[in-house]
Amino acid sequence: MKNKLSWFAVPYVVWMALMVVIPILIMVVYAFTTAEFQGTLENFSEMGTYTSVFLRSFRLAIVATLVCLLIGYPVSYWMAHEGPGFQRVAMALIMLPMWMNFLLRTYSWMSILENNGLLNQFFKAIGLLKVMGVDHIPMIGTSGAVVLGMVYNYLPFMILPIYSVIVKLDGSLLEAARDLGANSAGVFRKVILPLSLPGVLSGVTMVFVPSVSTFAISRLLGGGTQIMLGDLIEQQFLGGAYDPHLGAAISMVMMVIVVVCMFVMNRFGEGEEEAVML
Amino acid sequence: MKKQNRAGSRLLIGLTFLFLYAPIVLLIIFSFNAGDSSAVWKGFSLHWYAKLFQNRLIMSSVYTTLLVSLLATAIATAAGTFAAIGLYSLGRKRREALLTVNNIPMVNADIVTGVSMCLFFVAFFQGWGTFAKWFNSIQSAVVLPERLVLGFTTLLLAHVAFNIPYVILNVAPKLRQMDRNLMDAAQDLGCTWMQAFWKVMLPEIKPGIVSGALISFTMSIDDFIISYFTAGSASSTLAMAIYGMTKKRVTPEINAVSTLLFLSVLVLLVLSNLKEVRQEARNRLNAARRPSALERLGQKAGEPRYRWVRRGAAAVLACAFVCTVTVLAHETGSRPVVNVCSMGEYIDESLIDQFEDATGIRVNYQTAESNEALYSLLKSGGADYDVVVCSDYMAGRFIQEDMVEKLDYSLIPNFSLMDERFLHLDFDPASEYTVPYTWGTLGIIYNTAMVEEEIDSWSALYDDRYAGDVLLINNSRDALAEALFYLGYSVNTTDEAQIREAYELVADASRRKVFQGRVSDEVFQKMEGNNAAIATYYAGDYISMLENNEDLAFVIPKEGSNWFVDSMLMIKDAPHRREGHMWMDFIASTDASLANMDYIGYASPNREALERYPAYYQELYEEELDPEIYEIMVAPDEVLARCEPYHNLPAATLNLYNALWTQLGVD
Repeated sequence: MKNKLSWFAVPYVVWMALMVVIPILIMVVYAFTTAEFQGTLENFSEMGTYTSVFLRSFRLAIVATLVCLLIGYPVSYWMAHEGPGFQRVAMALIMLPMWMNFLLRTYSWMSILENNGLLNQFFKAIGLLKVMGVDHIPMIGTSGAVVLGMVYNYLPFMILPIYSVIVKLDGSLLEAARDLGANSAGVFRKVILPLSLPGVLSGVTMVFVPSVSTFAISRLLGGGTQIMLGDLIEQQFLGGAYDPHLGAAISMVMMVIVVVCMFVMNRFGEGEEEAVML
Repeated sequence: MKKQNRAGSRLLIGLTFLFLYAPIVLLIIFSFNAGDSSAVWKGFSLHWYAKLFQNRLIMSSVYTTLLVSLLATAIATAAGTFAAIGLYSLGRKRREALLTVNNIPMVNADIVTGVSMCLFFVAFFQGWGTFAKWFNSIQSAVVLPERLVLGFTTLLLAHVAFNIPYVILNVAPKLRQMDRNLMDAAQDLGCTWMQAFWKVMLPEIKPGIVSGALISFTMSIDDFIISYFTAGSASSTLAMAIYGMTKKRVTPEINAVSTLLFLSVLVLLVLSNLKEVRQEARNRLNAARRPSALERLGQKAGEPRYRWVRRGAAAVLACAFVCTVTVLAHETGSRPVVNVCSMGEYIDESLIDQFEDATGIRVNYQTAESNEALYSLLKSGGADYDVVVCSDYMAGRFIQEDMVEKLDYSLIPNFSLMDERFLHLDFDPASEYTVPYTWGTLGIIYNTAMVEEEIDSWSALYDDRYAGDVLLINNSRDALAEALFYLGYSVNTTDEAQIREAYELVADASRRKVFQGRVSDEVFQKMEGNNAAIATYYAGDYISMLENNEDLAFVIPKEGSNWFVDSMLMIKDAPHRREGHMWMDFIASTDASLANMDYIGYASPNREALERYPAYYQELYEEELDPEIYEIMVAPDEVLARCEPYHNLPAATLNLYNALWTQLGVD
């Protein structure tokens, strides 16, 4: 019977080969060829000029991930300690924005952050602008706006996995720790934190990866002057500078860096990759 | 102490929710705004909702989004569940190896997945084209389509591909928890494998399947990046439509559609939560009291006798769904179609309706952000266009690279109405490929309320005094041309040193933070809303902006500027050639030209339309057309003499432009 069942995996293996492995191989081929499909390493030797884009993307993504973690961890922790009704409603409320497309969520910030937008109008109304002696506080088009957009969009991805790990923590472990004389800080540091690490790791992955590769957020909130890796890649495929070979090379380098980061992090956490979401 | 703590934690949770929901609430509030700004309240109105239902782009993209999300969820859930069962019965080593591959799409950035799939599809289409040609040539019983393009199918495949891993990851743990002996026991007791699957395994793993399906659906609805690279031109999801619109003038129709989406999701969530709560309450009560009559009826539906009712209902629903899909597919497939793509958004959309009513041909009208983006779209194989609209230099490039077809001018009688000034130009000297669409000039648009002096030079773009208030035009050709004009060089120079000098001028201003942003059609919103003081854009668009902000002024700088002719071209091997020619002829007609001139503010190349426009304007608005405005719109010959058109540049120079343009964002 077991052998019969394993046939179920065959279509899946074929599918994975077609839709996951081959596309990535094609991308690699593109990365190592010129427009006439002759082998070259030029796409990679050019990469040095884009170091600043790599650095900027990683810097902004790391900041956004840290902010998400700083907000997300305590929120999930405290939420897990509320009553079941509260938890249910809170979870629903955190999921809800994800069912509006992420571009809608980003767009909603545009009208808020504009030079003549809602926040600046508000500052004007309370007289803050006059005190500071400026027409407006520039917000849109800054890297702060980009980080804000990332935090806003990806915060649920941080909260959900951490929450789902903490809520499943065995209460008797905490009691045991307390009985053995740990104070609440000790319980947190020695029991809760290590046990919730898998959730933190998967939350960090789920926030960091989309942040480092975004192009819509930097385009809409960053004004397009401070381009990020995603913008650079998009530009080579569907944007103003057509060069899919260079785009593939940049994608590949980004992929390798991200995979290495994740690998190192998971090694470090020895995390069980089960806490995906919910 | 404990209580205080709780208040503190609730405060933080509350603030987080405020942060998550404040923008959404504002979005919803402004969907009821009478004005068309998303920052200035002008009174309550529902008219954006009415407009929303007339907006074909948004409505069809909502439909595509829902359809692709539902189908992808259904397919991925079924396929993922079976794959998980298969994986689970493999040995540990092989299973873990496969699960690692399974994780690739989830760990990979969306953009890498999207790009690699896009490249894969395009490579497949090329291979398929060769195969189909060969196959069709050796036999005639079955005719295979030779030309495949990105579209709904590829979009669906991509969504299924990124959803399956989520399903597997949710089903696998449930399989692991299940007692392996249960299936054997059921079969020992006489169940066939199928029965055992339905009665034993499925109920055990159902929670995993449900949450997997839920996550798939969420991911599909939320996705933008993968769709962007795999959907091609023919079908766009809501996210793509919004992304397209945010580059142009954003109307509160987007707020309206967000509100509706938000409310329907809210209702769904509330209903499902209520059901859960009620279920729990019932479970608690059941022990205590006899079920009520209503509940007994409800339970009966679960009995074998009534099961067919539920199955029947499910079947009817499924049939209805399939019917709707096929009818819609048929409806859209059977009518003749013409796919048009224009760079930038500029057409009077009522013309599309007029053409459709008159001919019965459906017009699929798309826009690309710029000439260069249109080129990328065509090159990357994502586009299924018949007719494209682009500027002179790009038309030259299309012709040179053999991407367009010669036109059959006998099918375009209105071509004879074109003014000689716009024919036989450098890019198409024999006028074989193009029908002119509009023409005009590039200039500086500035806000007289924000800039004190009169601007008459390109130097204003690079001036520290206006730091943070200048918008750089987001395409390499115009942005560098402005600098070349300022430096006194020709805009068609191939001298690398001159181009680099021009680039340095722009890059230096960028480093000094003179530019607030790089914009294309976002310029409307920015300039009309007083969000920026100086921009460079086209005369026609200035006229549209002026209607919404009287403080704006337009000037062609003293150093000279660019004048352009935008044309319509037919893509090589276009599947709808006849319809394409009909569309070109319709657009070239005097009536359409007049309506379009009035709507988009660009001058038409149609002789009659140029002459009749002032009278047309007077009749329409019952006031005289300001001659100054007419001169900006229809630049007189002495102004054109100060301007220089762009020519297509040699490949080496184009590569330099590309490299410099990419570099600009970098430093």
